Amino acid sequence: MEISIKRIPWASIFIWTALILVLVFTVMPLVFMLTSSFMTSRQIVRMPFSWIPETFHYDNYIKALRGNDGSWIFPRNVFNSLFVSITVAITTILIASITGYGIAKFNFRGRNLIFMMIMATMMIPFEAIMIPLYMVATGLRMQDTYAGLIVPFLVSAFGVFQMRQYLTTFPSEYLDASRVDGLGEFGIFWRIVFPNCAPVIATLGILSFRGQWDNLLWPLLVTQSEKMKTIPLYISKFAEEKLTDEGAMMAVAVIASLPMFIMFGALSKYFIGGSAVYESRKG
Amino acid sequence: MKKSVLICIALMLLVAPLFAQGAKEEQGPIVLKYWTHEDPNRTRIEERYIQEFQAANPNITIERTTQASTKMIELVQTAFAANSGPDIFNLSIEDEYQYIANGRVAPVNPQAAGYKDMKAVVDTYADGILDPVTVDGKAYGLPLELTNWTIFINKSVFRSAGLDPEKDYPKTWEEMADISEKLVIRDGDILVRRGFDFRYPYYLVAMLPMVEQLGGQLISDDGKTAIVGEAAWLKFLTYMQQWGPSGRNLGSPTYKNARSLFNKNNNDIAMANTGLYQIGRIKADNPAFYDSKEWMIVPFPVFKDAVKDVAASYYGHYLMVNAQSSKATQDAAWKFIAYMLSHAEEYLKEVSLVQPTKALLNSETYKNIPYSDVFTKDMDRGHIVYYGAASAEFQTLIRSAVESVMLSGETPEKALATLKRAAQELLDEQL
Amino acid sequence: MKRKYIGIERKEARWGFAFTVPAILFFSVFSFYPILNALYTSMFDKRVLSLLPPNFMGLGNYTYIFTSPDFWNSIRATFVFTMGTFIPIVIFSLMVATFMVNLKSKHARGFFQIAFYTPAVISSVVAAAIWLLIFDPRGLGNQWVNAFLNTPGIDRKWLADKTMVQVSTMIVYFWKYIGYFVILFITGLSAIPPAIYEAATIDGSSKWQAFWRITLPLLKPTVVLVSIMAMLQCLKTFSTQYLFVQGGAPRAPINVITLNIYTTGIRNQRIGRASAMSIVLFLIMLIFTWLQFRFSKSEEVEY
Repeated sequence: MEISIKRIPWASIFIWTALILVLVFTVMPLVFMLTSSFMTSRQIVRMPFSWIPETFHYDNYIKALRGNDGSWIFPRNVFNSLFVSITVAITTILIASITGYGIAKFNFRGRNLIFMMIMATMMIPFEAIMIPLYMVATGLRMQDTYAGLIVPFLVSAFGVFQMRQYLTTFPSEYLDASRVDGLGEFGIFWRIVFPNCAPVIATLGILSFRGQWDNLLWPLLVTQSEKMKTIPLYISKFAEEKLTDEGAMMAVAVIASLPMFIMFGALSKYFIGGSAVYESRKG
Repeated sequence: MKKSVLICIALMLLVAPLFAQGAKEEQGPIVLKYWTHEDPNRTRIEERYIQEFQAANPNITIERTTQASTKMIELVQTAFAANSGPDIFNLSIEDEYQYIANGRVAPVNPQAAGYKDMKAVVDTYADGILDPVTVDGKAYGLPLELTNWTIFINKSVFRSAGLDPEKDYPKTWEEMADISEKLVIRDGDILVRRGFDFRYPYYLVAMLPMVEQLGGQLISDDGKTAIVGEAAWLKFLTYMQQWGPSGRNLGSPTYKNARSLFNKNNNDIAMANTGLYQIGRIKADNPAFYDSKEWMIVPFPVFKDAVKDVAASYYGHYLMVNAQSSKATQDAAWKFIAYMLSHAEEYLKEVSLVQPTKALLNSETYKNIPYSDVFTKDMDRGHIVYYGAASAEFQTLIRSAVESVMLSGETPEKALATLKRAAQELLDEQL
Repeated sequence: MKRKYIGIERKEARWGFAFTVPAILFFSVFSFYPILNALYTSMFDKRVLSLLPPNFMGLGNYTYIFTSPDFWNSIRATFVFTMGTFIPIVIFSLMVATFMVNLKSKHARGFFQIAFYTPAVISSVVAAAIWLLIFDPRGLGNQWVNAFLNTPGIDRKWLADKTMVQVSTMIVYFWKYIGYFVILFITGLSAIPPAIYEAATIDGSSKWQAFWRITLPLLKPTVVLVSIMAMLQCLKTFSTQYLFVQGGAPRAPINVITLNIYTTGIRNQRIGRASAMSIVLFLIMLIFTWLQFRFSKSEEVEY
């Protein structure tokens, strides 16, 4: 008894110290982004760096929102990014789970070949297929449309892979029981399988969302008009003109990251909830 | 089921050609897609030209799209590769030349552009301006701007180091290093203030001329040998090595770019290498500094034992027209280009872009710009930047050589050997 | 599961096919076709802008890249980056996830999850911009290290030195993705039934023993998944290196294969040669994934 009482606080102290060190490492650059968004570029590279801006330089935020050309297009770009990323997250979850289910739980010839081929697409660098893909998009007349931004990413190979891995361990007895109950195949998927995918759905959804949120090269190619552009394009264009205006650049960064921070803050509850679903089923 | 997968693949291959589009013939209303790089001031005046032009030509609609200039290259290229390039675009000449070489752009139609004939077009511009875009007697672009770089000096920084800017400004590269040595302020090894620093990504524009001053060449006159004059190259690489952090520690590509710091007048930098447009930017970014007249412009330096007087090369953006657009679209495009370019003085006043027309270079507006004579004289001392089908690759190779001596501790001899081998291989491939 | 009737087998096959067909169609158009196109292109001396039919080279592009010191340097850069990033990231994220699962307070756990994950939501352009400022000779990187080691005025050459610039790209990647992998591990760890731990505690094993004997073996599928993902991500790394080179860092030390593909194919317009490089990268990734699967299957554990 004595030993365990002594051991426990040491372990928690160690854990807390380690976690706080990691926290410092991950959060410091973000704090840096936030404080420097209120600074002039002169103050940002001053030695020694002061973490609290001398005067709060709100000007950066006005510049960030107004844009180089005073068009105030930024909110629209934020909306585009949100719309594209959310749509892709939803379609990826739906298509990946149904495909993953098909591969994991149904036996048919060519199944492994299909699975391997889908896996293989994960390994080709985007730069290599950029030009043929662009030809497909122009052939389908998807330039400068939401379809052009969304359709090439409707589902990801990794999503299929993850769903398949997860559903392979799904107890087949549930499925058979439901079949005996007279539920159709689609009904089984929708009512039995899909709700049980919650933990993977959360990670996959966030992964797909982030993939589009961060995508620079494809939107650059496929969009032309300002109103179709996404946040990374706005940032890269902004960075270009305001070459050394790091303060304004960081202000753009802060505004652009806000929706994501909020969304992730809200979703984190679902994360923990999702894990609980997993636990209850397994345990 | 394997068979069906094979059928799928076969089908895909069959469908593939459908995605390749050819040139479309257009009738009736014409829509011109015009892609250009981001420049807020230019956007303002060009949007106005578009309004005016559309009002005068109701059957023509212009869709102007701006892109970040660093991204323009890949963007235009991908679009052309997919046979859906814009009707009008501009890039820097060293990136544009390939479009001519590959027959992707259409020659200037003088009549559509409102000239009597080609000679009238050539005569409009200063001598030799259209040479870079001329192949077999046909010109493939009209210049939006032509730029050369000189040295901008912050006088108060000079004085704070006990130097007299008017007398002590560097005339040679040796002086450039010695004066920079006097101007730098360091915190340990870290440079807090620099004297001068180079504009690192642009090796062909501002560094190759340094080699040429010493008698070296990128490519021999007969076009068969790359990296001519090893002694000159060696001296240049040694100079750069001495400039860098492992030499005299006067500057490095990883510090903030000199020309933007220059405008801020924050005691960060005393000299920068940049073009006439910088004057407009100083005025916009920092009017107080502009009005203080605490800046001046001096010519591009030469080495003490230079065998040739060469200033920084000039480079330009030319407006070009897609050869795959229909004939009517091409003509409309040249008409529109000519309309935009007819506002040379406004481009100069509003955006600080110099269109190298004889009329503009002789105009009062141009001459009234402070120090414009320094640019004109340096332009006479210099030549157009090296351009060719592989100019971007040559630039990458020179960059690697300079980086390896400045940053990676390579000896100039070894860096030169690597550069020479790679450059020769590149050249041989083209013959 | 054994099937009793041929009818059921047929029906099963039909439904399985029906469920997978939309994805197959999708991948055919947006992945397989472009990949086959790249494979085809790699056999030609194709220039991006050329309208002339390209010359067939057979394996010419492959022999070229395999005799080019530049490409071998890219392979080196890619492997150094992958190993230097993926191994620490997997080990650290597993450690951090284990620590977090052991936290008593759910609020603290939620807080750490968000805090660790936030770098991943920032766009690569912004991440590079932040770190370029930190790695500026006058920036926080030098100030912190010099304050910590009490060595004022030393320039660590974060972006200039050939070793440091490689370390710097690894730091950025590590920073950006650690939170993501922590979350994947937490999901995996939460899936382990607490009953097993209770049994272990009754057996009298310590937490440390429980980790090695129970957690790690049960976590194997997650470990494999996470390492494959981390490794593929590292092999495909592009934006950090690209933006660093744009920011003035020397190219050669961080000229990873994707950056070389980009320079060769887009800047230098040799799309045939770039496609050959892509196919080589593709094969490298394929082999690694296969090895990892093999390795993980060789010591399969049963529940």
